[in-house]
Amino acid sequence: MGDLDLGFLAQLVVNGVVTGGVYVLVAIGLTLIFGVLGIVNFAHGELYMLGGYFGLVAATVLKLDFFSALCLAMAGVAILGVIAERVVFRPLRRRDPTDTIITSFGLAVILQNAALLIFGAQPQMIRTGLSRIPVSVWKVSLTMQRAIIPVTALVLVLILHCILRYTWTGRSLRAAAQNSVVASLVGVDINKVAAATFATGAALAAGAGVLMGSVFMMQPSTGSMIALKAFTVVILGGMGSVYGAVGAGFLLGIVESLTAGYVANELKDVVAFLIVILVLLFRPQGLFGTALVKV
Amino acid sequence: MLKVALAYAAAAFMLLLPMGVTGTYVVHVAIMTMIFAILAMGLDLVLGYCGQYSFAQGAFFGLGAYASALLALHFGLPFVVTLPLAVVIAAAAGVLLGIPALRLSGHFLAITTIAFQIVVYLIMAQWYGLTHGMEGLSGIPAVGSVQILGTTLARFDTPNGMYYLTLALFGLSVLIAVRLARSRIGLEWLAIHDDELLARALGVDSMRRKVLAFAVSAAMAGAAGAILAHYLHSIHPAEFSVWTSATILAMTVIGGRGTVLGPILGAVLLTLLPEVLRSADEFRLIIYGALMIIFVTFFPVGLVGLLRKRGA
Repeated sequence: MGDLDLGFLAQLVVNGVVTGGVYVLVAIGLTLIFGVLGIVNFAHGELYMLGGYFGLVAATVLKLDFFSALCLAMAGVAILGVIAERVVFRPLRRRDPTDTIITSFGLAVILQNAALLIFGAQPQMIRTGLSRIPVSVWKVSLTMQRAIIPVTALVLVLILHCILRYTWTGRSLRAAAQNSVVASLVGVDINKVAAATFATGAALAAGAGVLMGSVFMMQPSTGSMIALKAFTVVILGGMGSVYGAVGAGFLLGIVESLTAGYVANELKDVVAFLIVILVLLFRPQGLFGTALVKV
Repeated sequence: MLKVALAYAAAAFMLLLPMGVTGTYVVHVAIMTMIFAILAMGLDLVLGYCGQYSFAQGAFFGLGAYASALLALHFGLPFVVTLPLAVVIAAAAGVLLGIPALRLSGHFLAITTIAFQIVVYLIMAQWYGLTHGMEGLSGIPAVGSVQILGTTLARFDTPNGMYYLTLALFGLSVLIAVRLARSRIGLEWLAIHDDELLARALGVDSMRRKVLAFAVSAAMAGAAGAILAHYLHSIHPAEFSVWTSATILAMTVIGGRGTVLGPILGAVLLTLLPEVLRSADEFRLIIYGALMIIFVTFFPVGLVGLLRKRGA
């Protein structure tokens, strides 16, 4: 009996790591944008959702293989992110930054309803051959399609780490995160930094959208739910902390999976929001300290 | 002088409206406009006056509607009892959401209010035993009539009766909003809005003022919800989703934050616009979103601000 429970527990944890990988990717973009530019992108979930649909179009209309579709969707949504920064966020940079709450929310309303018009409300999915390959370790089994989610997530995090750490773009991003005025004094172009930050965040969200869209059905409204999960992760991990987001993303995925398995499936989504309200009340700096974009 | 004359003219127009039209369509649109005007005015007390971001007005609207409907359906209570109870329940929830607002501001508060909105929506959509899920509640009784000694004084089960009831609550809301805005409380809200630290240094009890803003705002939304439930006789979670909150926010922003007239103008515009542009209904929310961006970026003062500039 105890042995059986252990297998069930392991399966739940693995399931949690799979969804956690998606949360990590969406949350990193959100936390990066907050850390560098001091704004919260309320349309981030819509970038995730559009990534899923771009991937779907790339896989079905353009007949690309899964990884090409993933790259194309990331590139397409990155361009969209740059446009969004230019139109919605940049005009307000010198004004009250909280006004971007309303403009980015307006952008979310536009993108989600535009997706509804273009792609329709019916749930759709990216079908790949990978979902027919089973992976089985000990008592845990999942499809290859699911197994690549946390792996891809970690690879993307590693690439981001190298960019932030070792390239000039990454250095200017970190400089702007520490102090944008001083950064611009020493020659960092804040407009370029803002564009690069949004491109990176949007690409990561789109990647998450494609990965999730190959495992679960997607709808134009799926983005809002994921965005709120990502907010939870960002707050748990500490606003602006990239590694905090990685830890908190996997943690939230596992907690949700355990709630669904041991308590009740319906409570799974409510748990995240209760966590966010509790953390904001009692530990607003997040579980993992106070870091800005620290790498 | 002109302002007073215009206000009287508007009041006279509202009072006489049902007599000048045939059919129920215009009256229906007018009732819905007033319901949303109450919601937007309430939100503006929090957003425009107190400077706190809330995406939860749709949730309070839903709490009021479900509270009043459930009390009427399960306990057979009349509207005179369910309306105040719905207002109290919504206000209590407003206080509950106002408490995090004591420690959070800006982006963090906005996220918390979205989370609150989603939790309330999920309860309405998934707690089947209480709310009947997405099917919603139906058979909500109409507001009865007022009878004294066997003679009917007023009937509220007709569209015109409902119109005057809504008008009365709308008028009351305007009165409350204007009185609050012009009182010391309204000034303290504006002080918190401009610089909370400075306001506190000058002796403003920002904690109590913020919670009060949330409570009054939620109470107004609760009243609006109760009217909606007993007017439409059936309610569904979709009427109280985050999109409802977005619509109310758009009304407030477009009309003009920090004024009583602004949210009313916004509600009139955004309720009439879809009626006029029926054929473009699928673009409705896209247009709202675009208007939100355009107004905040280029006309942060809203319609009222633009009108005032023209007048001056």
